[in-house]
Amino acid sequence: MRTILVVDDSPTIRKMVRAALAGLQDVGFIEAGSGLQAIETLAMHPVRMVVLDLNMPDMHGLDVLKFLRSHSQYRALPVMVLTTRGDDLSRKQVLEAGASSYLTKPFSPSFLVSSVRELLDAAPDASR
Amino acid sequence: MDDYFAEADEHLLAIRRSLLMLDGVERPNPASSVLEELFRSCHSLKGISAMVELREAEVLAHHMESCLRAIRKGEIGLDSAKLDTLLAGASTLEAVIVARREGKQVPSGDDVITALRDMASASTEATPVATASGEAEQAIGSWTVRFGPSPELVARGIKVDTIRARLLDIGKIASVAPQVIPGGGISFEFLVATDDEASLASWKEDGVSYERVAPAKPEPVLQAGSDRPSGPRAWEVASAAPGNFVRVDLARLDDLMRLAGDLVVTRSRLDDTLRRVERHVPSREFRSLQEHDLLMERQLRDLREGIMRVRLVPVGEVFRRMPFVVRDLAHDVGKRITLEIAGQSTEIDKFLIERMMDPILHLVRNAVGHGIETADQRVAAGKPPEGTIRLSASTVGESVVIEIADDGAGIDLAAIARRSTKGVRVEDGTVDPRLLLDVICESGFSTREEADRISGRGVGMAVVRSAVEELGGTLDVATEPGRGTKFGITLPLTLAIIDAIIAHVGDQTFAVPQSAVQEVIEVDPGKLRPLEQNELLTHRGRALPIVRLGRLFNLDTTSRPRLHAIVVGTGLNALGLVVDRVAGHREIVVKTIADPLIHVSGVSGATELGDGRLVLILDVAALSRSVRERPRGRERASA
Repeated sequence: MRTILVVDDSPTIRKMVRAALAGLQDVGFIEAGSGLQAIETLAMHPVRMVVLDLNMPDMHGLDVLKFLRSHSQYRALPVMVLTTRGDDLSRKQVLEAGASSYLTKPFSPSFLVSSVRELLDAAPDASR
Repeated sequence: MDDYFAEADEHLLAIRRSLLMLDGVERPNPASSVLEELFRSCHSLKGISAMVELREAEVLAHHMESCLRAIRKGEIGLDSAKLDTLLAGASTLEAVIVARREGKQVPSGDDVITALRDMASASTEATPVATASGEAEQAIGSWTVRFGPSPELVARGIKVDTIRARLLDIGKIASVAPQVIPGGGISFEFLVATDDEASLASWKEDGVSYERVAPAKPEPVLQAGSDRPSGPRAWEVASAAPGNFVRVDLARLDDLMRLAGDLVVTRSRLDDTLRRVERHVPSREFRSLQEHDLLMERQLRDLREGIMRVRLVPVGEVFRRMPFVVRDLAHDVGKRITLEIAGQSTEIDKFLIERMMDPILHLVRNAVGHGIETADQRVAAGKPPEGTIRLSASTVGESVVIEIADDGAGIDLAAIARRSTKGVRVEDGTVDPRLLLDVICESGFSTREEADRISGRGVGMAVVRSAVEELGGTLDVATEPGRGTKFGITLPLTLAIIDAIIAHVGDQTFAVPQSAVQEVIEVDPGKLRPLEQNELLTHRGRALPIVRLGRLFNLDTTSRPRLHAIVVGTGLNALGLVVDRVAGHREIVVKTIADPLIHVSGVSGATELGDGRLVLILDVAALSRSVRERPRGRERASA
């Protein structure tokens, strides 16, 4: 089972992401509603990749990303960043911060699926 | 899509609440936490609207967000004109979403968008305003609080959110940052301002450790979660309450309630069976059977109360929309009105409150349109120029009372008398309130010569009344010339299962909701005085109209030397229902009669007793109305 951590403060978006990815083979999901929850969840569950929203309460998605990239055990964890049309952050900033991939809402489900599949297949088996 | 609408509703409500908090705050630099919440709601709404391809909502939310960002950064100050623009934006946003939900043409938000865009672009010219944040509390102690999550703690329900909420309870969180501890694992480091060291110490078992921070070096408090990341290890925590709630489809609760209802019926069948077998069972065994039966009855009652409580929501959810409505309408008609709200936390069944939304809205609109006078008229009448509308809710016994009161001119009774066909007479400057309600609730009645946007065409009050009565509630009105008008809506706490008095008439069985019953009396037929089509009984010093259910529903009844009457309603609405026999008190499961062909005035629903017999539930309010109208239209109740 390859576990995907879906981080977004909107339950609707979380549900949509899961629905889009549900067709992938051998995947399971964990959800987190904030950056803090996301990091807590990561510390306790083996996670193969993260789908990460940016604008969230408590801890900005970009800060979550920077935190992950600054610690060795999460450096290789694939992180796909979701952002909303019109956000101040450029694609460049997000990729420089260490995002493995980058998608703007509204995204097409099929594009999400293909990007996630690519990341999952490329990533080493990080589950412990 | 339902998920979208549910979440959009929450965001809209939050936006409105925040905007209203900003309203009336005469500070150029509003509280950053309010702006922050507002900003976040707009942003989330933008995101989810984009996902469901509701482009109009996405664009609107985007422009509101831009304005708010400028305000938050202090690039533009907030004044009442700007607030109006934001409010207009929120209204349009709601209209767009509602239109989409109802499958209607989505309204254009171009005007509002232009206004919002102008507002945001003005930011470059305006002088910067100091931001309100950064008031670190120096007087109380600062602590570094560490929390290390673990699977054991999670199993006990203790997560980072739990700790965060606890810390917010005892103080302020200046920042929070995750850290990787050597050897793997993670901890969260909160910077907290609090005096409550005892609480911190008591959480040691929950993975919390802490130390005092030297007061000489205050941590920089950064602007809460702005678009740009705010440094590697400091985030101000927004005050948004952690979502300790589960959203449940109402239909599932209805299913549960129905199942509990079926159980009630089954248990009462068991009750009947028990009574039948009593003779055949040794008394010791029977007693234990009976004890279990009674225990089950109590537990069933607890169960259905539990389910009922799940369905209860605070009335405040509906009330929260009202300041918005009043503000809009008052602005339109050029009146000055404040809205007072009380009892928001009063709880009521979700089903009921959803159906009460429109009636309450209508009554509030009426109060703004008809009730409150213009400022000039008020001053001339020696009243403060600003009118007050008071919206309140309270629980009274098994009912919830919602009141909408204004301190306006009162209902023009002379105009009512002139226009009504019912022969209304004004005596001592007052009118029988029952009659008054009948008149203003008559379809097509309006004191306005022309329909205007607010007050409509006189169908409203009729709809309000029928909506209230359909739900088993009552509507009443009190008005005083020059002093104001008060409408009261009394609703049962919940539907579905009620306590009722069971009575027999001929071979038919009726149930009367116990909440309406005042008392059961014995009547000497000789003391009844005929009056027009009614019979009256002098009871407790008042004339009590008597209705013989046997006659009303054309049932065969034998005449008896003494009659039993169930007294229902209070005051002028009181009524005595004559029955053959009162069988007792029971819990009944209400099933509304949906088929219009068998719709009978005076009957509100049906139920099943333990033996499977069908019982009709009397609609007390309709009966009382039909009796009062009987001089004009006889046999209306049995039509």
